[in-house]
Amino acid sequence: MTQAVTDAPTSASNGSGNAIIELENIRKYFPITRGVLLRRLVGEVKAVDGISFQIKEGETYSLVGESGCGKTTTARMVLQVETPTEGVMRFNGTDASRFTGPERREYRASVQAVFQDPWSSLNPRMRVGSIIMEPLLTNQPMGKHEAQEHLETLLRDVGLRQAQGEYYPHEFSGGQRQRIAIARALSLRPKLIVLDEPVSALDVSIRAQIMNLLRQLQDQYGVSYLLIAHNLATVRYMSHQVGVMYLGRMVEQAPVRDLFANPSHPYTKALIAASLPSHPDIEREEMVISGEVPSPLNPPPGCHFHPRCPMVMERCSVDDPELRQLSPVHQVACHLF
Amino acid sequence: MVAADTGPILEVKDLRTYFHTRTGVVKAVDGVNFELYPGETLGVVGESGSGKSMTSLSIMGLVPQPAGRIEEGSQILYRGENLLEKSPAEMRNIRGKEICMILQDPMTSLNPVYTVGNQVIETLRQSDDNQRSSSLKERAIDLLSKVKIPAPDSRFTNFPHQMSGGMRQRVVGAIAMAGSPNVLIADEATTSLDATIQYQYLALLKELQEETGMAIIFITHDFGIVAKMCDRVAVMYAGRMAEIADVRELFNNPQHPYTEALMRSVPNVDEDIDFLYSIEGQPPALDNLPPGCSFADRCPYVFDKCLEEFPPAVVAGDRHIATCWRLTPELAAQEAR
Repeated sequence: MTQAVTDAPTSASNGSGNAIIELENIRKYFPITRGVLLRRLVGEVKAVDGISFQIKEGETYSLVGESGCGKTTTARMVLQVETPTEGVMRFNGTDASRFTGPERREYRASVQAVFQDPWSSLNPRMRVGSIIMEPLLTNQPMGKHEAQEHLETLLRDVGLRQAQGEYYPHEFSGGQRQRIAIARALSLRPKLIVLDEPVSALDVSIRAQIMNLLRQLQDQYGVSYLLIAHNLATVRYMSHQVGVMYLGRMVEQAPVRDLFANPSHPYTKALIAASLPSHPDIEREEMVISGEVPSPLNPPPGCHFHPRCPMVMERCSVDDPELRQLSPVHQVACHLF
Repeated sequence: MVAADTGPILEVKDLRTYFHTRTGVVKAVDGVNFELYPGETLGVVGESGSGKSMTSLSIMGLVPQPAGRIEEGSQILYRGENLLEKSPAEMRNIRGKEICMILQDPMTSLNPVYTVGNQVIETLRQSDDNQRSSSLKERAIDLLSKVKIPAPDSRFTNFPHQMSGGMRQRVVGAIAMAGSPNVLIADEATTSLDATIQYQYLALLKELQEETGMAIIFITHDFGIVAKMCDRVAVMYAGRMAEIADVRELFNNPQHPYTEALMRSVPNVDEDIDFLYSIEGQPPALDNLPPGCSFADRCPYVFDKCLEEFPPAVVAGDRHIATCWRLTPELAAQEAR
């Protein structure tokens, strides 16, 4: 073998490996207060509790985990809707919290989002053409003719007809609406698109269309994705890198192949064991994890997962496991390793 | 699992549920046939608008009035008796006692202003009204522990909002089990649950089924649930039955092009897929169905006959029926020539 095989599911991972965005030890705590006038601080919800990862150019980084694990809060910080309590987020190597005026504007243009529900993310009173072009026209004023050209390219790239730019959102099905949302996100030629459960609200036969479209656009535009998803099959198909979160912490992080070939954290194993089989003859390793995700208001001491973990040891309830290198590319936070 | 000597507990024959609206007739369910045997699990798979939920509402006698109507000639036989000829009072006795339903969203199927204990008791009282309240409470707590709610005594006085989603769905399960039904219809019952919680809930349903011998109908869009839970599968498309077969037969040997395409378009947790097949287009509008096969315009094997006339149900194997022109003897003969 002369060359390392790329671990990318898509043909072009652009391998250059430049990090578009880098999160370092990011925390987000939400204060809980009591009282009306004297707002006493009675606690904190540690929604995100010290996570680090980077997203490379042209790649998809996925965050998986159950509700309350902090994946959406992380996405909101990347979108700068939420400011981290602690930690550094670098965009192309510069600290994003220091951005002012024009830089912030540029950042916002470079990071776009597609949300889960295409029924609520499009303005029902705007024509599709205006919806798609609004971000672009706000950021860089241009002539009517030029705008029309841009719109035509975008519509074509997401698989809609030219005439459909004149329609209103209600005239489209869920899958087509998601295409409109994707065209809008692409209009500014962003470096990164945050995809928050982009296919889970769609019908089964439409999901494959949208997933294939997203992958094709990634190749075409060289855009990176931060994918938030709970369906492991979707994650496996779409991602290059995967981070598994549990109660605000990263428990395992690896390239997609390594993660599925060699899941190491008991929680990752449990998630894979709990995922539904693709054929009735597939028997999964029984991995019974009892109980539910505890409240992030009062997480268990030590490893947050220990009350549900089948491999729990004494030190798990005392020591926080650090994220350790299992291999140069595979990290896991568990005392077993 | 199916006892050969006993007849089906539920038989749906040529069920047609139409909605008569100002703009025309919407054929939500259009000629559905299936049988359900005691102790069996039947999966009904389809996309939104395929008529799967309306089929279950028709069985429960809960078709939205006045627009919705079950047409002449339809039959729903429960233990040989036609449910469509029952009076509302008789149906009320069957619902909850003989046939029960679990819906997708436990927040909307529980009453927010009553404790969960009261809601379980309410159902118990329905099925047997001259009982002392102390014994009712005992039985309710018993049911809550049967669905594995931890500390059922203290949970008895909880309101729904004090419980997590998974816990609420267990309460809904307890209520459904209160009348010890013979048929349980689970309509997307685990769709809103997190992966590990869904896993627990499915295991619970299986356990309850083994204990009580009830038959379960899983209404779902997810082939994973079918692969994990079901003995037999019916695939619906645009209000009609595309295919029905034993689960292994269906996965190994799908005969209807829609089933085949749908299976190929689902990503897989168990292996890497380079490129996912996707079905282009979308399901037809139910108020304006084409004269021929409803899947014709998306079907890769379409030919003239498909556009002219709706295909008959053809026996495609052992306990395997599919509605497709390609499978008819005339056509097979034509192809042979």
